[in-house]
Amino acid sequence: MARLLRRLGVIPLDRRTSLIAGTVAGLLLVAMWAGTGYRYGPYVEAVAAPSGGTPSSERELKTLATRLRARERQLVSRHKATAPRGVFIVIDQTHNRLYLKRDDEIVLEAVCSAGSGMVLNEASGKKRQWVFDTPRGSFEVLSRAENPVWRKPDWAFVEESQPIPKNPADRLDYGSLGEYALYFGNGYMIHGTLYERLLGRAVSHGCIRVGRDDLRKVWAAAKPGTHIYIY
Amino acid sequence: MLVLACGGCARRPAASATGGASTEVARLQRSTVQLERQLELAGGKEFYLLLDPAASELTLMLRGAGLRHFPVIGLEIGYPRVLWVGRRDPRTWQEMIWSKGELDPPRPTDRIVITAEAPGKGEEEPEPPPIPPVAEELYRVPPRFHIRFSGGLSVEIRPRETDGNAGRFARLRAWWGARWGDVAAALGSSDHDVVRLRVVLKPKDAESLYRSLPPSVRLLVLSGAEQGPGPLFPAAPAAR
Repeated sequence: MARLLRRLGVIPLDRRTSLIAGTVAGLLLVAMWAGTGYRYGPYVEAVAAPSGGTPSSERELKTLATRLRARERQLVSRHKATAPRGVFIVIDQTHNRLYLKRDDEIVLEAVCSAGSGMVLNEASGKKRQWVFDTPRGSFEVLSRAENPVWRKPDWAFVEESQPIPKNPADRLDYGSLGEYALYFGNGYMIHGTLYERLLGRAVSHGCIRVGRDDLRKVWAAAKPGTHIYIY
Repeated sequence: MLVLACGGCARRPAASATGGASTEVARLQRSTVQLERQLELAGGKEFYLLLDPAASELTLMLRGAGLRHFPVIGLEIGYPRVLWVGRRDPRTWQEMIWSKGELDPPRPTDRIVITAEAPGKGEEEPEPPPIPPVAEELYRVPPRFHIRFSGGLSVEIRPRETDGNAGRFARLRAWWGARWGDVAAALGSSDHDVVRLRVVLKPKDAESLYRSLPPSVRLLVLSGAEQGPGPLFPAAPAAR
C-alpha cells in the first residue's frame, strides 16, 4: 500500500495521522448520514391565504362572507345527499366479511366467501380462461329471487372436466344457491351456500356466499335499489 | 382632545371587526374548497381515503359512502433533509386531491392456476380445487408501509407498539432498514416523498388497511376549518 501511494505521488502519512484522518472522515460521514433523511414534527394545520384577493373594506368583506355562507350551505346539502341513505351493504372481500349498514351504523356483520381469484384454463376446445375474482366498486341490487335456480355457465362444467351440455335444461342446478339470491349485475349475486364450513375463506367463483341465517336478514333488509359497495 | 380620543376609540372596534370578518371569509373559503373536493371525490368511481385530523379518523370511501373507519392514534408530518439542510416543498398539499395511491411494498399476489382436463380423458373424478389460504396465512404485513401518491405525497402507516412487541434485535434491524430507506428517499428524485404523513394506527387496523386497500386510491386531507393554526394532534408515540 505504501509503495502504491509513493507511485501515485501521494505523500505517505504516518500511522497516527492516518488514524486521525480516518476518524475525522468517519465522523463526518456519520454526521452526513444522520443529517439526511426525514425530519418529523407534530402535524400542524397550515392556514392558507385566502384566494382571489381579499377585499379590504368591512362592507365588502361582509358581502363576500354572505355569498360564501350561501355557497357553503348549498355544498353541505349536496354533500349530505351523496351519502347512501337507509340500508346499504359493504363487502370486504379480503377479510370475507359482509356488513349490512343503516346510515353508517353496522346492523349486521356476516362472515361470507368472496371470489378465490383462481385462474381456470380450458385444456382443449376453445382454450378459454376464467378468473374468479369478485369485482370491486359500487353496485345495486338489481333483482332478487327466492329459491334461485342456478343456470350453470360453461366454466362450471370445464372445472369438473364434464362435457358442456347442449340441452339448456341440463345446465339447471337446484338448491346450490340456497334460499335467496340478490343479483347485482354481470352474473354476480349474493346467495346462500351448501358449504357453510368454508365461509370466511375466499372460495367462490366471484359471487358472495353467505350463511343461511345471515342471508335471511340480508334478504329482509335489502330491496332492489339497495347499494352494494365491494372493496 | 376629547373628540380625537373618541375618534380613536371608534377606529379600534372597526379594525377588529374587519379582522374578524377577514378570518371568517378565510374560513368560509377553506370550507367551500373542502366541500367541493369531497363532492368531486364522491362523484368519481375510484376509492378514496379521507384523513380527518380533527376527528382522528382515516376513512376508506367510495361515492360518498364510508366503507371502513380507522381510528388514528398519532399523526406527524415529515419533510426531507439532506446534509442537515431541509428540502421543504413550498407547494400546498392540504386541501388537494392526491391520486394513484399504491402500496409500498406491494401486496404479494399468488393466484392458483388450474388447467382442467378435457372431458372423458380421466377415469377418476377430478380433484376439487385447493382451498386458498386467507390473507393472514398468505403473507405478513410489513412493520411499516407506505401509500405513495403521484406528485410526491406519501402516507407512512406505522402500527402502534409494533416495535415494542418485537425483540431488541428485530427492532434494531427494523430501525436500520427504515433509516436507510429514509436516506435513499431524501436523496432521491424531487417528486418522490416530498411530504410524508406518518399515521399511527392500532396494529390490527394497520394490517387490515394493508390487506384490503384497493389499488389506485385517492386521498384528501381535511383541514380543521374551525381550528386555527397549531398542532392538532399528539405526536406519534415513540417506539420503545
